Amino acid sequence: MKFRDLLIMSINNLRRRKLRTVLTVLGVVIGTASIVVMVSLGIGLNELTVEQIASYGSLTTIEVYSESRWGFSSSDSKTEPNYITDDVIKQLKRLPHVKGVSPVLSVNVLIKQGVYQAYANMKGVSEEFLKEIPIGEGTLPSSRDKELTMVLGNMLPTQFSNSKTGQGYWDSGKLPDVDLMNKPLYVIFDMDAYYSSRYPSEGGSAVKPPKKYMIPAAALVEGGVDNWNSYSYDVYVEVGLLEEQLKRIFKKNPIPGQPTNKKGKALSYLVYDSAQVFVDDMEHVTAVQAEITNLGYQASSNMEWLEQSKKQSQMVQAVLGGIGAVSLFVAAIGIANTMMMSIYERTKEIGVMKVLGCDMRNIRDMFLLESGFIGFMGGVAGILLSLLVSMVINRFAGGQALTGMAGDLSRIPLWLNLAALGFAIFVGMAAGFLPATRAMKLSPLAAIRNE
Amino acid sequence: MERTPIIQVKNLYKIYRVGETKVRALNGVDFTLYKGEFCAIVGTSGSGKSTLLNMLAGLEKPTKGEIQIAGRHIENLSEKELVTFRREKVGFIFQSYNLLNTMNAIENVALPLSFRGMGRKERLARAKKYMELVGVGGQAKHMPNQMSGGQQQRVGIARALAVNPQIIFADEPTGNLDSKTTMEVLKLMQKIVREQKQTLVMVTHDNNLAAYADRRIRIIDGKIVSIEEGAREVLGGEDQEQREES
Repeated sequence: MKFRDLLIMSINNLRRRKLRTVLTVLGVVIGTASIVVMVSLGIGLNELTVEQIASYGSLTTIEVYSESRWGFSSSDSKTEPNYITDDVIKQLKRLPHVKGVSPVLSVNVLIKQGVYQAYANMKGVSEEFLKEIPIGEGTLPSSRDKELTMVLGNMLPTQFSNSKTGQGYWDSGKLPDVDLMNKPLYVIFDMDAYYSSRYPSEGGSAVKPPKKYMIPAAALVEGGVDNWNSYSYDVYVEVGLLEEQLKRIFKKNPIPGQPTNKKGKALSYLVYDSAQVFVDDMEHVTAVQAEITNLGYQASSNMEWLEQSKKQSQMVQAVLGGIGAVSLFVAAIGIANTMMMSIYERTKEIGVMKVLGCDMRNIRDMFLLESGFIGFMGGVAGILLSLLVSMVINRFAGGQALTGMAGDLSRIPLWLNLAALGFAIFVGMAAGFLPATRAMKLSPLAAIRNE
Repeated sequence: MERTPIIQVKNLYKIYRVGETKVRALNGVDFTLYKGEFCAIVGTSGSGKSTLLNMLAGLEKPTKGEIQIAGRHIENLSEKELVTFRREKVGFIFQSYNLLNTMNAIENVALPLSFRGMGRKERLARAKKYMELVGVGGQAKHMPNQMSGGQQQRVGIARALAVNPQIIFADEPTGNLDSKTTMEVLKLMQKIVREQKQTLVMVTHDNNLAAYADRRIRIIDGKIVSIEEGAREVLGGEDQEQREES
């Protein structure tokens, strides 16, 4: 028998018992929709977490610290302190899967504009690092620049306070009248001198206030003052230019914050606070991180965090999917029941077909097609229903309300739709298998005898 | 004229077990039927005539004995092979017509052809031809429940003919019809056997009907008691045919 003839017969059989078919299909609709919605919630939760973690910083970067930098290993004075220096940066660059390494040199500075001033952390980083920063306005500085320029955090304006009244954004709730891009900014690097000039120690001689340097702004980090990201509060500059600037300011004197040797003298080389390692792919982050730890440095990345929360959300996903699967299982029983009823009703018809020479396989296939078709219709309608439910969920119970994260809570990717449809058809056919084999094995004689 | 044997039955037994007792439905049956014959198997109910027909058509397996149809032994075929055998060689006419209610008349006639994998256009054309032959050409689009018993049985006959079988089996084909329609159907079957050179095996309990067959095999208690030859012509056949067509 041709497949087309089989299909037409099956569909005609379903059509002649419309109500029963519709009711059975309804079971599959609910089953499919509940699986899809549940899994979509799981996916949404998972992706929200990933997005949230990604918003704290790139997922492919590893931050590298040295314990010696903060003096933890000073008790063990025999070993050389393993500061992060230019040599270490070169060593990290040679690791497999490492795309680039940026040193991070932080200095505390004071930024002034008019009556407003703000304390900020200025970070000297390499060009690779700068490229990672999402820029809202302006252009990134480059190592080929002659002059030091700054990339300013988008939430930096909130840090400014009026130097006369001492009132800042957090006190008054009013954004200070500063224009980072268009009005000149003055930066004080020598904070020690600044403090001693402001608050002279008793009996000490008055100290001359340190020199202010006008540093132009090159760019602003993307986002308004309310959109936090990991670059929002800091000032970023090219590390080479920062080094030159610091050498010019402090000359032979030790740069504040830099470690000293045992005699308290400045070291002959610059020590970075940390290093940022860029890995080529998310997959390799964990391996690279382990290798850096083996070299004796502290390393941390968002990946560890991500993996943990991924495990968690996978579990949530499995539980949700399981709940949905129960209702599809109930629907499968419904299909089996419908098919069984249909066989009892059509015993005679099946018998006649067998007497007339219909292949046993064809009879089985006809029933399988019928139950598969119930699954197919239920699957399609179930997907439509789940899209609707998902829309309602996202509209009235967004991720914001439930988890405090922005974004859709229920997400239905295309593969989920296709998988759900395939699964619904499979469940339909599996449920129809037993009735179909039973129909196939009916004795033609017994079938035509019942009058 | 040389007669080709088409059904050869030798020493056929069918024994049912009912509890402890054995019931001999067929108790050693031998006969031969030839191509182009209209044969009636006559017997009262419980004589074993239906069992014999079922075994000839491969619906039941004999306990013992041989059945050779068109030169092929069918007593040891598997169920799958029997289905193929019926599809290729056998046509069936039922007492209660057994048309599928979901299909209209022409689709019912074409149904056995679809089991052979024949395309829709071709099989409907063929079905149409046979429906016209049996005189229900105008009812092609009618559903079975919109037709009279006589019309339904004509459709049933067309369905049996459409596959161009070597043998047609009819199990009490007029059992559900009134006497006038019975005569019409009987005449139709007689005409078809003669014109189409078909072999028809009819089971009936009615001696009167059996008289129209070329040969009558009488069965009592599972044994053949007599085989008679010679057929009676259906009376007033020509008139009835004209009335049917007008």
